[in-house]
Amino acid sequence: MTEALRVRGLTKSFGRPVIGGLDLSIASGEFYALLGPNGVGKTTTLRMIAGVMRPDAGSISVFGRDVLADPLGAKAIMAWLPDEPLLYDRLSPMEYLEFVAGLWRVEPGLARQRAEELMETLGLWAHRNERCEGFSRGMKQKTVLAGALIHEPQFLLLDEPFTGLDAASSRLVKEILQARVRAGAAVILTTHMLDVAERLATRIGIISGGILLAEGDLEALQRQAGMHDGSLEDVFLQLTGA
Amino acid sequence: MFKPAGFAWLFVNEARILWRGSILVRTHKYVLGPVVVVGLMFQGIALILAAQIVRHPLPLGQMVLVANLNLFFFFVLMLSRAMTSAIDVLYGRGDVDFLLASPIPPGRVLAVRMLGVAGSVAVPWVLLGGVLANAMAIHGQPWALAIYPMLLAEGLVVAALAFALVVGLVGWTGPKLARRAGHMLALFMGVFIFALGQAPRFIPQAALGHFWQALLPVGSAPGVQHVFAKGLLGQPAALASSLAFSGVVFLLALVTLDARFASGAITAAAYRPGGTEARQGGEFRASPFAAVLMKNLRLLARFPGVVTQTVYRSLTLVPVVMILAGKLRIGSGTNVVAPLLVFLTGQLALFFISVMVVSDESPELAASAPVSSAFLKRGALVAAGYVTLVLMALPVIGVLARDAVLLPGLLLGMAGVLVCNLTLGLRLPIPLVRADFGKAQNGTMLGLILGVAVSSVWSLAVWLLVTPHPLAWVVPS
Repeated sequence: MTEALRVRGLTKSFGRPVIGGLDLSIASGEFYALLGPNGVGKTTTLRMIAGVMRPDAGSISVFGRDVLADPLGAKAIMAWLPDEPLLYDRLSPMEYLEFVAGLWRVEPGLARQRAEELMETLGLWAHRNERCEGFSRGMKQKTVLAGALIHEPQFLLLDEPFTGLDAASSRLVKEILQARVRAGAAVILTTHMLDVAERLATRIGIISGGILLAEGDLEALQRQAGMHDGSLEDVFLQLTGA
Repeated sequence: MFKPAGFAWLFVNEARILWRGSILVRTHKYVLGPVVVVGLMFQGIALILAAQIVRHPLPLGQMVLVANLNLFFFFVLMLSRAMTSAIDVLYGRGDVDFLLASPIPPGRVLAVRMLGVAGSVAVPWVLLGGVLANAMAIHGQPWALAIYPMLLAEGLVVAALAFALVVGLVGWTGPKLARRAGHMLALFMGVFIFALGQAPRFIPQAALGHFWQALLPVGSAPGVQHVFAKGLLGQPAALASSLAFSGVVFLLALVTLDARFASGAITAAAYRPGGTEARQGGEFRASPFAAVLMKNLRLLARFPGVVTQTVYRSLTLVPVVMILAGKLRIGSGTNVVAPLLVFLTGQLALFFISVMVVSDESPELAASAPVSSAFLKRGALVAAGYVTLVLMALPVIGVLARDAVLLPGLLLGMAGVLVCNLTLGLRLPIPLVRADFGKAQNGTMLGLILGVAVSSVWSLAVWLLVTPHPLAWVVPS
């Protein structure tokens, strides 16, 4: 399998060290969940991989493209969904998708087709020409998800993607993401919903104190935590000492 | 310092939030110097002005007329600002529901909000009017100090009216149209003051005299309808009556709105099913630059108050049109048009680029896209420059038709001020809207001061360039 993400020695500090020499590898077709307590640097890690924050040290490559040396080349195949929806309140979902598709240079005919499909699938079609300012958090989240998917990225970075989504939308988004993974894309997501991570992810990484404490499927995590059985929640609490 | 959840404690919290969302916060350390200098200059001018007023006292009737006019201007300008502030504190800031869910009596929350708005709209005028009042007091006219309580009292009436109007308008049309109504009031007042200043140029002196005569109070003792004017002029009974009236109006509004506020009916009125319809989208573009440009233009077109603020700034065009049409002659003739247009270009460019910067709620989205940051800045600059030039095209054509010889200097000045103010606004956008709750203010007073200075310098340069003997009309040979 192709290596989708390769992070080596990633370091970042904001006065105090946040990430201290993180190594991470994700293969194409892999759904990776990055878990950790609040404030341990999950979001910072995703921001550095997305190319919106420069690390103090280390290297990041996405599908062989060096994020630090060739940020535009790497960004072209990535989509980053931060924990707060990056949306323009005074644009409609259709206009927002126009803008995002333009930024990623999606061919106009194809962009329109994908935009229509995504809005239909995500239940946004009836609201496509309404300004986002009146939308609920869930509606906004669906709009930015559509934006993240419109250029069919090979690598998706999702920071708490299920926040605000209702049960049906949440399931729908999971199916869309799994379909993308089956098609060869790679996904890294952060979430505090451990059951979601357990069900969706092919591999889980637990981060704390700026380093990766443990990594693997549930069985591997149980071994690393010195447990014979137990849920992901038990393993997580054991490893992070929470 | 104050009892938690008490009125004073809540008021201090409200004042802190209003201050942190205000336009002065971000650059106060840079702005303080110029503000002090300008303040001292104002005080100096006020002292000279006050000396003249004291030396040439107006008859009581004319004093009452001047006081009435001032109270009217203050009232409308305060009301406009109070309406947008009321919308912010009731619907925009997002903390009303949180406070309603707390054990603090809702009436106290509403009263603090109304007082906060009253103070925030009155204080700028109190500071401005206070400069003249202080000067008058120094010249032995202490009655002028009545402006302090009178304007604060006017702020109370304005806040009461603004809250009542806003609650009614939001319930009827939604927060956006209510906000627009507030902007329209400001525009109306701006145009009215401008027209009043220009009136002697259009209206025959005799007709204008009749107009002012009609507004003068009849007889030597102005009637009860002039009680506020008399209060402003420091007559104790009128002042006390005005303050009492303002307090009663404020309390009446508070009592009237309290029950609806407590039930959540007021805040609930802003929630409407579905969003506002935007124009049909779907014009997908292959070029990222076209996408950025279109996004910027849309955000500009939908910026609250963009039309009113543009019209406000474009009032400079009135004398320009009149000069070009030969209806007005100022100084050295048509030459004056060039610096006026250069100044307007600078102000519009600064305004539009500031809107672009302030409207960009999600800069990180573009930062995560495969485009350079310089490219995005270029998108904002081009959009702001484009709109400025579109608006300035017609006056430039007018100059071409009337006095083509001015054109090279005019175009040079316009290009210069455009580049300077667009670059400036990108780094230091002017303050346009109150910061969202919990967000930092984007705009800076420093940008505003520097922008006006840049526009003025370019105007002056162009005036010197296009006028053969620039000072000939001031100093006759």
